[in-house]
Formats: sequence, C-alpha cells, structure tokens
Amino acid sequence: MSYLFDPQNWEWLTTGNNLRFLLEGFLVNLEIAAIAIVFSLICGLLLALARLSRLRPLSLVAGVWVDVFRNLPLIFIILYLALALPAPWKDFYESNVPGFFPEALQSGRVFAGILGLVLYNSAVLAEIMRAGILSLDRGQGEAAASLGLTYPQQLRYVILPQGLRRMVPATVSQLITLNKDTTLVSIIAIQEVMRHGRILSSGFAVFTGADVQAPLLQVFIFIGLLFVVTNLALSRLSVRLEIRERKRTGGTAGPVTGVEDQTALAVEAR
Amino acid sequence: MSELWEVLSEHFPELSSGFWVTVRIVAISFVIAMAVGTAVASLRIAPLKPLNWIGGVYVELFRNTPLLVLLFISFAGLRRAGVPIDAWVAGTASLGLYTAAYVAEALRSGVFAVGRGQIDASLSLGLDYPRTMRYVILPQAFRTVIPHLGSLTIAMIKNSAIIGVSLLALPDLLHQARLVNSRTFATNETFFWAAVGYLILTLLATFAVRRLEARYAIHR
Repeated sequence: MSYLFDPQNWEWLTTGNNLRFLLEGFLVNLEIAAIAIVFSLICGLLLALARLSRLRPLSLVAGVWVDVFRNLPLIFIILYLALALPAPWKDFYESNVPGFFPEALQSGRVFAGILGLVLYNSAVLAEIMRAGILSLDRGQGEAAASLGLTYPQQLRYVILPQGLRRMVPATVSQLITLNKDTTLVSIIAIQEVMRHGRILSSGFAVFTGADVQAPLLQVFIFIGLLFVVTNLALSRLSVRLEIRERKRTGGTAGPVTGVEDQTALAVEAR
Repeated sequence: MSELWEVLSEHFPELSSGFWVTVRIVAISFVIAMAVGTAVASLRIAPLKPLNWIGGVYVELFRNTPLLVLLFISFAGLRRAGVPIDAWVAGTASLGLYTAAYVAEALRSGVFAVGRGQIDASLSLGLDYPRTMRYVILPQAFRTVIPHLGSLTIAMIKNSAIIGVSLLALPDLLHQARLVNSRTFATNETFFWAAVGYLILTLLATFAVRRLEARYAIHR
C-alpha cells in the first residue's frame, strides 16, 4: 500500500512529456473506438434487418454469420485478421487513409484491428437490435401495413424508431465494452496507450525528456483510470439522453437493462 | 481441404491441451466470479450506506477497466513491485474479478426483481439480514438471472483468450494456435480449428444455459 501511494512512485506522471505521451496513446484508442462504433452500428443494423428479412436464404446466412462472429473471442478475430488479411487489402487501406489521421493509424495493421472490432461488435449489436425489434408488439407492424405503408416505410417510420429506442441501454453498454476492447489492438503492435505505457515503464522513454523509469504498476493503474473516467462519462451521457427522450416522447424506456438481457428477450420473442 | 485435416492430425496434442487449459481457466474464474460477485452484490444492497458505496466503487472500477489493463496490473505490475505472483493466479483472478463486477450487477437487478416486500416479510419473521439474504432473497435472485449469468459465462469463455496472448502467456487454445501457426504457417487451417474449439465451448454453454433456464428460471 505504501508502495502504491508513495509520491515518489507517481513522480513520473509530472516529469517530462510522460503524461502527454500517454494521453496521445489514449487518443489513438478513442479514435479507433469512434471509427469502429460508426461502422459497427451501421453494419449491425444491416445484419439485424437481414436476419429479420422474409427472404429465407438471406436471414439464414445472416443468422449463421452473426452467431459465428458473436461466439468467437474478439482477440481471436483480430489476431487472425492481422495474420491472414491479404496484403492488397492492407495496401489499399494505407494508400487511402486520410492524411490528417495520426501516425499510429496509418499502418495497414490498424485496418485489421478495426475490421476485427467491427466484425465482432456488429454481430453483437445486430442481436441487440433484433431483440429490440422483436420485443415490439406484432400489432405495430400489422397496423402500419394495414395503413398502406410499404415494408421499408414500416421499418423507417414505425418499427425502427421504437425498437431501437428500447435498445439504447444495451447498445451503450456494448459500446463501452468496445471502447475497452480497443486495448486489444496493442497485441498486433499498434502504438496505442498500452504500448505507450510499456515504453514508459521500460526505461527507454528518453525522448519524453524524463530520466526516471516509470513504475509499471502505477502507469497501468493510471491507464485503467483513464478508461474508467471515459466509460463513466459515456454511461452518464446515455442516462441523460434517455431521460430527455422519455420526457420528449412520454414513453418509457424498455425493460432491458444489460447486453445480456437481449438474449433472454430474443428467446422469449421466438 | 486435405491440409485442413493434416494440421489437425499432426497438431492435435497441442490444440487439445490448449483447449483444456482454456476450460480450466474458465472454470476457476467462474468460481471466483460467482463468489466475489455475490459478495459485492450483498454489499451493494446491504442496509448500510458505506457498504453500498464500497460495492458501487468496486463495480464501477472493475467494469470500466479493460481486462488487458487488469492483467498488466496484476501480473507485470505486481511483479515489478516485488510480489512474486504466479501467472495462473494473476490470470484467473483478473478474469474472475472483472466478471464479478458484472455478476454483482446482474444479481442486484435480480434482487430488485424479487422485491422489497419479501425482504420486509422475512425480516419481520425474525430472520436477521444475512439469513434473509441466504435463505429467501438470493436463491430467488439467482434463478431470476440465470440467462444473464449464462451470457456472462459465455463472455468469460471469450475473454479467457486474452490471457493466452497477453504477457501472462498461459498455454490456452489461442496461445497454442499461435504457436502451431508460427511453426506451420498454415494460418487458415490452424485458426479454423481454434475457432472450432471456441465455438464448441460457447455453443455448449449457450445450450446448457437454455436447459438450465427451462428448468429453473423464474420469469418475472
């Protein structure tokens, strides 16, 4: 305990550019998370719609796809892609990545990392969204159909606004998980906060202008706290949004509280 | 296609030993997660404010920290600080304590589903608080959240793969697959069999949870 709180062991944080170096790494994580979140939400919605489609083959394929990627470890997918992604894909990414992206995101490996995050999370989000849509009363779709709305119109104006709103809590908790999972790309040697932390505690970080070797325990406790703060902010934000939405629509949020409840919901709805 | 079977027949010993290491990691972590999760959940719903606080801080800290960071802290961090912790202890404890935060939240929601009235009733029957929890509330809460605990177990199977590729390097399925791959360069084939291994575990768990749920779960 005295080792943990000894001010000497926290000195590294304020010497040289150490803090800035760590935060720069953390920013890479947040950027990867932001990109992955956007694509996962889009792909997740498409997968959910495909799985609910009336075209039997389409829903079957989407079902198998979702079940496979949802049940594999994310780190497994990322590692496999980093090893097996064809070189032309990585080259394509490297030559098309916007120039304003930080240096750490320019490498082709980042493409494998982001693709892995999207493949896994879009499958999980697809299940969440599907459960949300299925939890709606059947009557909603039938009423919309009898009013003369076409299937896309039913989705756009009746089903999705209600179904997705119910799934906001579960979706947010999955996005928090995604944010944490961005640390996994450090395993395929992308220079983000975990790597920066290791460099600081290796004693080779002379370029940050600090001549002390940062104690590894304290460095990673600090990194953990960075994640705790951002994730707490994310969940607070979602609670705020929910309260505002509830006031606006006068409805109640769904009974779904966690990612895992969706499984139960999906089973019930079947 | 023939190469697929070749990789399996030649490297079955490594892959299957990795499979069983994964099973063992998950089994140990499961016990830790359930025990600690139940304890933290009891703290969170105890009739004493400071205890609620401690439980809440535990949940928020462990739920919002990446598992990889926990592994770094518990293994390399403690070792650097002079605590000679074993890789198995660090790995299973990290995974267990991480999942325990989620288990605690699940159980808490289960206790709320059981309802305040039952707590009041059993307290007024003369049971003290620990006994109320032990004999009245928790048995029902557990049965209410069986599906939830099941998906946490499946998440734990998937998260266990992080332990093998982190610097703890426990020889689990993914770790072994990587070793085999570095010797054979048959990436697709090796990872295919590793995927089969993980899918066996996760789908078996899904099936088991569904059976348990059908038998014991209380739907509210």
